[in-house]
Amino acid sequence: MLPATAAALAVLAALLAWPVPAWLGRARWPRRDPLVALICWQAIGLAGGLSIVGALLVHGLAPWGHSLPEAGWAVLTGRSADDPVRGDHWVALTLAAVLTAELLGVLALSWVRTARTRRRHRDLLELVVQPSPAAPDARLLEHPAPVAFCIPGARPLLVLSSGMVAELDDDQLAAVVAHERAHLAEHHHLYLLPFVAWEAALPVLPAAARAHAAVRELVEMRADDRALAGLGGPDPRRTLAQAIVVAAGGAGGGVPEGALAVAGSAVGARVVRLVTPPPPLPATARALALACAGLLLLVPTALLLLPAL
Amino acid sequence: MASLGDLERTVMDRLWAADGPVAAAGLRDALADRGLALTTVHTVLSRLEAKGFVEHDDARPRRFRPTATREQHAAELMHEVLGRSGDRQAVLARFVGGVDPEEARLLRQLLEETAPDPR
Repeated sequence: MLPATAAALAVLAALLAWPVPAWLGRARWPRRDPLVALICWQAIGLAGGLSIVGALLVHGLAPWGHSLPEAGWAVLTGRSADDPVRGDHWVALTLAAVLTAELLGVLALSWVRTARTRRRHRDLLELVVQPSPAAPDARLLEHPAPVAFCIPGARPLLVLSSGMVAELDDDQLAAVVAHERAHLAEHHHLYLLPFVAWEAALPVLPAAARAHAAVRELVEMRADDRALAGLGGPDPRRTLAQAIVVAAGGAGGGVPEGALAVAGSAVGARVVRLVTPPPPLPATARALALACAGLLLLVPTALLLLPAL
Repeated sequence: MASLGDLERTVMDRLWAADGPVAAAGLRDALADRGLALTTVHTVLSRLEAKGFVEHDDARPRRFRPTATREQHAAELMHEVLGRSGDRQAVLARFVGGVDPEEARLLRQLLEETAPDPR
C-alpha cells in the first residue's frame, strides 16, 4: 500500500493545476527576468504532468509493491500482486495510461502539424520572394501591412514585409531584426510548443490557457531583452518600443476581429517595460526562483522513486 | 551549379511570365542560358507539382501552368500570418500582433509622454 505517496503527489498535482500557475501568472517579478520565469513555467508544466500521472500510477500499482520501481518491475516480470487488486486500482491505472497517451500524443501531433505548416510556409516564401544578398536568411515580402516574423526550424527564415520596411527607420528595423533573431537563436518555439499542445489537450483546465498566454508574453520580453543587448544607437529601448508601437498600430487594419484585446494587453506590457524599465531581479531572488523550479521537479521525482511513506 | 530552390524559383518565374501552359521542352529552351537537361526540368517541375504550385494538363507532351499567381501566394501567406489560428502561434514567431485603434493611440501617447527632452 502506498497511500501517503499517492496523496502527496495528488496534492502537488492539484497545486500545480491551479493555485501555482495563477500566482505566477499574476506575479509582477517575471517581467523583471523573463528567462528565469520561463524556466519556472517549464518546471510547473513538467512537474504537474509528472505528479498527476505519478499519483495515479502509485495508487494503481500499490498492490504489487512498496515503491513504484519495485511495483513496476513486479508487473513487468509478471509477478502476481501481494495484495488483492481492487477496481479502483484498475481505474487509476487506466486513467494514468489515458492521460499519458493524451499528453504525449497531443504534443507529438502538435509537433508534426507545426512542422508541416512551417515547411509549407517556407516553400511558399522561397518561391514568392527573392533572398536578399545582404542577409541570406531574410526575405522581403511585398505587402502593405507592417509585419515581421520568423519561421523557426532547421532552416530558419526571417521575413519582413515591404510595409514594415517603409514605416520604420534603419535603427528601428535593426531592432525588429534583432528581436526576431533572438527568437531563433534561443529556440523560443520549443518553450512554447508544450504549452500550445497542452492547452489543446486540456481545454477544461483554465491554468493551461493562462500558462500559454504567460509563456508567450515572456518569450517576447526575453527576445526584447536579448535584442537590446546587441543594439547600438543612443536609446535602443526607445527605438525598439517605437518599432513595436508602429507595427502593432499599423497591422490592426489587416487583422480579423476577436482575440485582439488579449494580445493587445501583452503588447502594451512590452512597451511599458521598454520605456520604463523595472529594476532587474536581485541575484538572490533569481537563485531562489531557480531553486524553486529545481525543487518542483525534484519533489515528484523523489516521491515516485523512493520507497513509499 | 544552382541549387534546386533557385531552379524552382526560376522555373516558376518563367511559368508566371508565360501567357499560357508551357511544355517542359519549352521551359528548357526558355532557360537555355542555364544549359539545363530536360530531365532536370522535369525533376524541378515534379517537385513543384508535389508542393502544389504547378499543375499539368492532359496534352501530349504535358504542359504545365502555375496553380496561382505570385500575388495570390503572397496574399495566402499573409492571411495565415495575420490570422489567429491556435497552432499558428507555434508555427511562426511574429514580431508583434495587431492592437485595436484605441490601444494603439494609448501606446503612442505613452511614447510621447516618456520622450526625452529634445535638447
